[in-house]
Amino acid sequence: MQEYFSNGRLGRLCLKELRESLRDRRTIITLFLMPILVYPLLSMAMQRLIVGSVRGISENKEYLIGVSDEETAQVLNNSIRETQRAINAGARPSIDIVRSQSPKGEPSNSGSDQREPQSQERDDLQALFRLAMPEKSSVSESLEQGVIDLAVLSAKERSLRSRDGESFSVFEFDLQFREGDLRSEAAMLEFRKAMQLVNDYQSALLRGPKLPVAVQLKAASIGRRFDPTASLAGVLPLVLILMTITGAVYPAIDLTAGERERGTMEAMIATPAPRFVLLLSKYAAVVTVAVLTALANLFASWITLSIGGLGRALLGEQGFSIWALLQILPLLVIFAAFFSAILLAMCSFARSFKEAQAYLIPVMLVSMAPALVTLMPNIEFSTWLGVVPLVNILLLSRDIMTGSPSPLPAFAAVFSTLIYAAAALVVASRLFGAESATAGSQETWSDLIQRPRKARVIPDLGELAIYLAILFPIFFIVTNLTGQWITDIVPRMWCNAAVLIMMFLVMPAVFAWYRRLSFRNTFLLSFGATSCSKQGRFGILNQLAWLTAAVLLGVGLWVIAFELFKILSDLGFGALSLERSDSLEQLKQQIRAIPFWMFFLTSALVPAVAEEFFFRGFVLSAFRDRLSTVWAILLSSLIFGIFHVISGSVLSIERFFPTLLLGSALGLLAVRTGRLWPGIFTHAIHNGLMFWLTRFDEKELEVWFGQGNQHFPWFWIVASVAVVGTGIGLLWLSSSDRLHENVS
Amino acid sequence: MIVATTLRKQFVVRGKPLVAVDGISFQVKEGEVYGLLGPNGAGKTTTLRMVMGLLEPDEGYVEIGGLRTDQHASLIRKQLGLISTNDGVYPWLSVREMLMYFADLYAVDVSVAKERLEELSGLLGIRDFLDQRCSTLSTGQKQRVTLARGLMHDPPVMLLDEPTRGLDVVGSQTVFEFIEFLKKRGKSVLLSTHRLDEAERVCDRFGLLHHGTVRYEGTLADLRTLTGKEHLVDMFIGLIQSDSLNANGSDKIGAA
Repeated sequence: MQEYFSNGRLGRLCLKELRESLRDRRTIITLFLMPILVYPLLSMAMQRLIVGSVRGISENKEYLIGVSDEETAQVLNNSIRETQRAINAGARPSIDIVRSQSPKGEPSNSGSDQREPQSQERDDLQALFRLAMPEKSSVSESLEQGVIDLAVLSAKERSLRSRDGESFSVFEFDLQFREGDLRSEAAMLEFRKAMQLVNDYQSALLRGPKLPVAVQLKAASIGRRFDPTASLAGVLPLVLILMTITGAVYPAIDLTAGERERGTMEAMIATPAPRFVLLLSKYAAVVTVAVLTALANLFASWITLSIGGLGRALLGEQGFSIWALLQILPLLVIFAAFFSAILLAMCSFARSFKEAQAYLIPVMLVSMAPALVTLMPNIEFSTWLGVVPLVNILLLSRDIMTGSPSPLPAFAAVFSTLIYAAAALVVASRLFGAESATAGSQETWSDLIQRPRKARVIPDLGELAIYLAILFPIFFIVTNLTGQWITDIVPRMWCNAAVLIMMFLVMPAVFAWYRRLSFRNTFLLSFGATSCSKQGRFGILNQLAWLTAAVLLGVGLWVIAFELFKILSDLGFGALSLERSDSLEQLKQQIRAIPFWMFFLTSALVPAVAEEFFFRGFVLSAFRDRLSTVWAILLSSLIFGIFHVISGSVLSIERFFPTLLLGSALGLLAVRTGRLWPGIFTHAIHNGLMFWLTRFDEKELEVWFGQGNQHFPWFWIVASVAVVGTGIGLLWLSSSDRLHENVS
Repeated sequence: MIVATTLRKQFVVRGKPLVAVDGISFQVKEGEVYGLLGPNGAGKTTTLRMVMGLLEPDEGYVEIGGLRTDQHASLIRKQLGLISTNDGVYPWLSVREMLMYFADLYAVDVSVAKERLEELSGLLGIRDFLDQRCSTLSTGQKQRVTLARGLMHDPPVMLLDEPTRGLDVVGSQTVFEFIEFLKKRGKSVLLSTHRLDEAERVCDRFGLLHHGTVRYEGTLADLRTLTGKEHLVDMFIGLIQSDSLNANGSDKIGAA
């Protein structure tokens, strides 16, 4: 295996696949010709649609305002008259009122700053709002049916007199409009502007402070109409993603089923190159072509949107900004990584080009069905959608384009897509060439589902990827729901503990049992002085050294982790949720009311046991012996850190680095001792001390931190570093016990 | 070099078990060309695939250079070269790129691979079109590229699966010369073919397969004494006829 990862061999293998794809005319067509054709055509179609809908408003700029009775009509008429008075008195109306149609229906030439005569404005304003009194139905119903543009539910008028003795009126309206309907929204906006004008004018008369707009607005949630422009921001990501898929499809088929069809598959499979390496090189090529396609499409769409001014019409003032483009590009890369793996898995099944196409068409149609959901107007990128493949990337791209992505689902979208990609790649590598080679050491895809016949020592990377792909969405949704539903601290703590036990202890144990993994090796369950190594070296003294090191690490690390957490919070990483700062004090008070034993059990002991079992047991074991020790520790800590960023329904980026640090120390401990228990000690002490600190309020903490200081004094930090150093030193001096050195 | 011991392989075809190979044993020494002969469906390709380690035998095992294929799959694959009828080329790669790719698949060092490419291109006459795309090559040229591909890692054992099927006289001649060359280099060659006349020309020893078993084995002289017939073709017809006589007592032409 190793010889394929050295001397640039893997790079050359990838290069061959890439050459094969890029020299093919069909790839080039999807790569360059399609974007050049698609976006101008698409933009032309969209432009027609938008111009059509906008013209529909501007050509017929007369808003029907529904009133329920004569009295309301009277008040409304008065308000319009008052507006007119304000305009006549020299109040500067907003450009929209001035620019409205002349009664004859000819477009006015007032696009420039040219002001029209006042007399015409009178006509304009009266022409702008026309009153209607629906006879058969209520105003709300008429609004719903689209008969009127704005409904006045109630209107009040009060007369006031200024210091100069001039009388004037203030108005109060209860309005209803159709949300998401351009015309109705425009009517509401114009009416508000008119009322603002009245208020400004009256404020000036009173020589007092500006009056607030006396218009009560009530948005009608019912009778929402389909609005073409609202969903257009969702169309672009869909088109981009579709094009990325299209780019990946051809190379995926060509490099797998095509290989069979050309008769090169058998010769390739007969070589000693591991199938995973072969697939990896093909995967790299497919992803590269997909990313190139994505780049070409992104660039073409950006140019089209920027040149035509369509971007601003679709996405608001900022248009399709470079910043949005730079954010969407990595998303497309991640998506390409995910979908290419799916495509390869599907194509590896096929024996010919035709067969591969027959497999792919249903897959693409099925994946497009949820994608179309994202086109629905006003669909929110809610938290749980963050783990739904394809939909998450589409919604996240849409939110980036319109400028309002929310961090938690965004994080879930990125991370879950990466995990799914890894799992799909594992399945693909089992499927690839399975027809040609079914002998001995090579695994097939059914091995991933079936219970193995032989007992094994530790999980392989494929099992880890698949387990994570199952675990992460469940973990994410469960922690979210409990975070949202259970607000009281005590049931929430019990619930969290239960989730930890279920996800990190019970489920991995069941999985390991099903896959016939050795519990002792996978979960490092060695106790006492005996192990597979010589008796004497792991005597009581050595065990004591490990225990001391574990305690020292636990005692020292939390101060450093806390400081890291504080620094990151101060840098603004913690400000991702408003919810937290509001309830922090409340939370602290609730925490203080909890008995310490319960607190220790749910926040320190259970997490220590469950998380060590999974992260230092299952995850680290999958990496150990396959990667170098440093990489194994680092990658397992990375996963450990990412899982900790999700706490309840909040994204806590600031927790990432402290957890990464803790995870690395615990990983080192597990690797050096070959046992899980020292890590459990360290973890429990660390968590216990960390949460113990939260029981104090700020005044009590000042005793430690010093007046007005939120941080530990420097000598605390120095002492902690020294304690941690001593622990690591002790670990180094004691004998290390490697449980499974020679696992292939 | 190759030792196959009581190989047995059974497939399930449309719900019914079909024994493709039923207890085949043979040995191929260094510098020897062994012909695995038989009509279509005799079990030649299945046997070859088991030797390659692409198929796992239900019973028996194969040893190559003293190592069992089921235990040292990766090591053994480096010892084996494979050339088969169905072998294709990569249309979008040049000949050089394709051969260097296979050198990488066999984890051959780049410098060694370059030297070998130089040597083989002279030997097989492919130097003139080394930098041409494979899609532009003629059938004969493609065949020579395939032969070169099988030798890029200089394996001590070469498996040839129907290497002359679909080739003209010139193409077949190239293959014979190639086999002669392999023999001179002291390689063990396992040749599977149904072209018995060709086999007679190049093979040192033969195994005559029928219905998944080895019916006769030995040198041409051995087989002649054993069967009393001059040519392999006659021996085979005799074999098949005796088979069908045993089966239903018929002596019609083409009963087999």
